[in-house]
Amino acid sequence: MTTQEVVDRLTIQIESLQDGFELLSKAPNLKELGKSFFHLLRGNVTAVDGFVLFRNARETAWERLFGKGDATAALECVGGSEVSNAFSFHSLKDRPFAVVAVHSLHDGSHIALVLGRKLDKSGYSRLDSLTVQMLIQLFANAYQSLLQRQKEKGLVFSLNHRLLQLNSLIDTGIQLSRFHQETSLHHTALERAAALTNASYGSVTISSGWTRKERIVFPENIALKRPKDASHRIRAAFKFSGQTYAYELFDKESRTGTGPFEETDRLLLDSLARQVHAVLENHYLHLQEVEKQKIERDIAVAASIQQRILPKSLPVIPGYDLFGTNIPTRFVGGDYYDCIALNDGRFALIMADVSGKGVPAALLVSSFHAYLSAYVDTGLSIVDLARRLNAVIYGASTEERYITAVLAYFTPATGDVEFVNAGHTPVYLRRSGGAVEDIADGGLALGMIDMDFPYTSARVTISAGEQLLLYTDGVTEAMNSKEQLYDATGALKKFMESFAPQTAESFISGLLADLSRFTGSAPQNDDITAMYVMRL
Amino acid sequence: MEHEFSLTSETKGACLIIATSGYINNTGGEAILKEFSSHFERGTRKVVINLAHSRVVNSIGMSFLIEIIDQLNEAGGKLVFTNVDPAVDKMLGIMGLFGFAGKEKTVEDALKSFTGSSS
Repeated sequence: MTTQEVVDRLTIQIESLQDGFELLSKAPNLKELGKSFFHLLRGNVTAVDGFVLFRNARETAWERLFGKGDATAALECVGGSEVSNAFSFHSLKDRPFAVVAVHSLHDGSHIALVLGRKLDKSGYSRLDSLTVQMLIQLFANAYQSLLQRQKEKGLVFSLNHRLLQLNSLIDTGIQLSRFHQETSLHHTALERAAALTNASYGSVTISSGWTRKERIVFPENIALKRPKDASHRIRAAFKFSGQTYAYELFDKESRTGTGPFEETDRLLLDSLARQVHAVLENHYLHLQEVEKQKIERDIAVAASIQQRILPKSLPVIPGYDLFGTNIPTRFVGGDYYDCIALNDGRFALIMADVSGKGVPAALLVSSFHAYLSAYVDTGLSIVDLARRLNAVIYGASTEERYITAVLAYFTPATGDVEFVNAGHTPVYLRRSGGAVEDIADGGLALGMIDMDFPYTSARVTISAGEQLLLYTDGVTEAMNSKEQLYDATGALKKFMESFAPQTAESFISGLLADLSRFTGSAPQNDDITAMYVMRL
Repeated sequence: MEHEFSLTSETKGACLIIATSGYINNTGGEAILKEFSSHFERGTRKVVINLAHSRVVNSIGMSFLIEIIDQLNEAGGKLVFTNVDPAVDKMLGIMGLFGFAGKEKTVEDALKSFTGSSS
């Protein structure tokens, strides 16, 4: 070959190398790289056939990247070749192939070329050896580029996965905050935690003390296995409302099996468990708030019912001074009082207290008021009125609800008062000398028993300068901060005995002031209702 | 709650339809790849993966799906996902899979999407 011919061939090969590198760089995988490389090689050295072989390391077996037909002979040819760290090129004798070339790649792997005879049946020249060396170098560069691309791909995958984890964490937080079913909440949180950490399986265990109350597993119905070692398990637990919630994940997956979890996985699980904890707390607070609002609404309704039926003012009765008051508690106790003018010139004095509090009590007071309005001025005796009211209240109320009441017909002209005390606190009558008498005759509270229970009445006459006090147990049972009752030692009677007021209103004001002094800062826990009748 | 993985497959014309059920993790991903490979080796290049009953995919499961997409794309084929749960949809989207694979509401839509495809 002349110098000019060598130069021409090298020029062609340089151009071929440039195109070749472009081709090899596009190979999506090692197999394709091997295939493209062989075609490039064959075009440059005109080999008829051959094999491209590859091995990951010196200790591993050669595998075919490209080559047609049985590779056994090719593998035998390369098997006996010495592999130095650099390029080697050997001619073969008495073999089905003509040359074998081996090259170490940058990562410790090797590429081998086993080439058959040339198309023109000539032997491989020094120039062919150089060409093969250059092309193998080209392969090495493309191989490095392929690995780099795969590494970049892995890096992009990893970055995307981190982004995904972050995104899922935010989404999961939003999703969890919308849950109302606790079990669904744990299912979703567990699923997300397992997926984000590549856990094989997981569980949520809810226990109270040493007792396991519930266990949720993911995937569903999987039998939980003991992990290979502690690093194959991560756990995040929190306590809420007397229960322990333990989230556990097992066996982090990879394409080659399972392994230990990473610190990031632990952080992710902790974070999800904290979110679940917050959701449970928020849900609990929400329920409390809803319940509170319901109670507030009930109280408002009850208060409205009660206030509607209480008298705005009491009738003016010549020769008498009357005053009444009702101080409701926050919980609405169901007290009622009134002085009702009758057609025959008499008046009905009423003081009543429904058992219980809130809307049910207010509704029963309302019923009592309606029945009383219906029967009070029908000519019934006070005993019959009590009996009739007992029957209708019994029918209108539930078992545990009843009404204690003082019912009285009062004749202003004579000062006569006929009472029935239906299980209520005694009426006090202050005589002109200051002595106070109890009036407690009557019977059982209204609505308690429907057995036509006989009520009895008591009659008194209020003379000039004498007074009557009707009240509810909100007065006598007012409590101070030491949980002592106001009337435990007969304070009410003593107050009445010692206090000679100018007006009925001043008596009530004085009584309220005395109660206030006694209770101090203790909260009022029942309605306080009192009515005072003074004969002038 | 997601259960353990299972799959079914059928072929309609030149299309392979794989319907998955349960957690697509290492086990699930391997099973999908195995099913795909057995058809791919016989020349199948149009594949539908129906995810109607899979709401959770982890990144290992996803790597198997990427492998399938890679193989199909290199061979001029195409993969279409159908009935994708919103959470999985977001996941596959963030991982960039929809740049290389299709997504349709139903299997029927996916089969229609292959009409006119050269492969």
